[in-house]
Amino acid sequence: MKTPNLAYRLKMARQSAEAYLRDNGHTTLPIDPFAIAAKHEIEVKAKPDTAGGVSGMLLRHGNNFGILYATHTGSEGFERFSVGHELGHYFLEGHVDHILPQNGIHTSHGGFVSADPYELEADHFSAGLLMPSGPFKELLRRRKPGLDTVSFMAERCKTSMTATAIRCGELSSDAVAIIVSTGDVIDYCILSEAMKSLPELTWLRKGSPLPRNTETARINADPANVLRGERASSEIDVLDWLGGKRSAIVTEDVLGLGHYGKTLTVLSSESIGQEDDDGEAEKDTFDRWDAPRFKR
Amino acid sequence: MPEGKPSDIFQKRLKTAREELRKWSQGELGAKAGLPPTSIAHFEAGARKPSFDTLRKLANALDVTTDYLLGRSHDPGLAEAGDPLYRDVGKLTGNDRELARDFLEMLAKRSEEKQKK
Repeated sequence: MKTPNLAYRLKMARQSAEAYLRDNGHTTLPIDPFAIAAKHEIEVKAKPDTAGGVSGMLLRHGNNFGILYATHTGSEGFERFSVGHELGHYFLEGHVDHILPQNGIHTSHGGFVSADPYELEADHFSAGLLMPSGPFKELLRRRKPGLDTVSFMAERCKTSMTATAIRCGELSSDAVAIIVSTGDVIDYCILSEAMKSLPELTWLRKGSPLPRNTETARINADPANVLRGERASSEIDVLDWLGGKRSAIVTEDVLGLGHYGKTLTVLSSESIGQEDDDGEAEKDTFDRWDAPRFKR
Repeated sequence: MPEGKPSDIFQKRLKTAREELRKWSQGELGAKAGLPPTSIAHFEAGARKPSFDTLRKLANALDVTTDYLLGRSHDPGLAEAGDPLYRDVGKLTGNDRELARDFLEMLAKRSEEKQKK
């Protein structure tokens, strides 16, 4: 049997969560993953806030299931996302073979951790569950793109800034780029369809150097800025960030993500991509841009 | 224990439990589990793999344990020790193992309480 590509699998995982919500009458935000677990008689328990280790774990005894989730980050968004992730393992078809320990011994499919498609599927299920495209887009389209909107959506969905920003990048009808960076290196970048309409963009892949002369580079130059959650905003030519062939002014909003050690950048424009279609939008985001991790 | 992936064993065990233990049609099992009969046919043919949610619905409808359907027990009514369903065991700290063990004990007690009812 042909294995579907990763982009398709992740899309199906998000849609599977959205179908669950539709079938079970969840139409308003925020979605409560704890209530969903309770409805399915899945016992959910918080790990002590002093315990690090794994962010979550699905457990089974006979026909009873439970979820343990980490609380040491102190972030409600992270906790809800972790529970949603474990619900993904519970509801998604095919996860039985991949997370069930063999013969009583836990199996690790070594060397394939961060890019593990099953873990990514569970992340995308959680994103679709907590930020379903219908109600999410409905709220998004009424707002000016940028960090304030990400913040507003995070509050409405009770999700982390990073996970919410990624979802905004996927679902916004405006031109938006979501960039997460550490120091002078890009971790990943998501472009909305409208932003992708710019011709011949340079791909900001994982490990690419952070463009100089940007507000983000200024903030990242001193780790203390990131640690104290500094926020800044300025205007910049999109060419300075994403290259390409068309000059256009975008707003660059930057937020230091504190102890997480990373920086969130939102580039936005209400005019790019709103002209007549004169180019083909790129398809299959995840084939061309590094798949984002929704986790934090 | 039988050899093969849990979903391969599930495919055979599901059919055995339905036909031999309960003597039900696919439609009867589907109705009791709240699933379309075509889903049962697909699971038994191996065309679809179950989720844990579906596995549990089928186990409850057939009155067998998920352990039996996954080939982890030969006895349809017997639950084995339970599993922390976490793939990357290398990352499980001693603390996580301990928390998982305590939690599994609690789930086991729940199983016992349900059986007494």
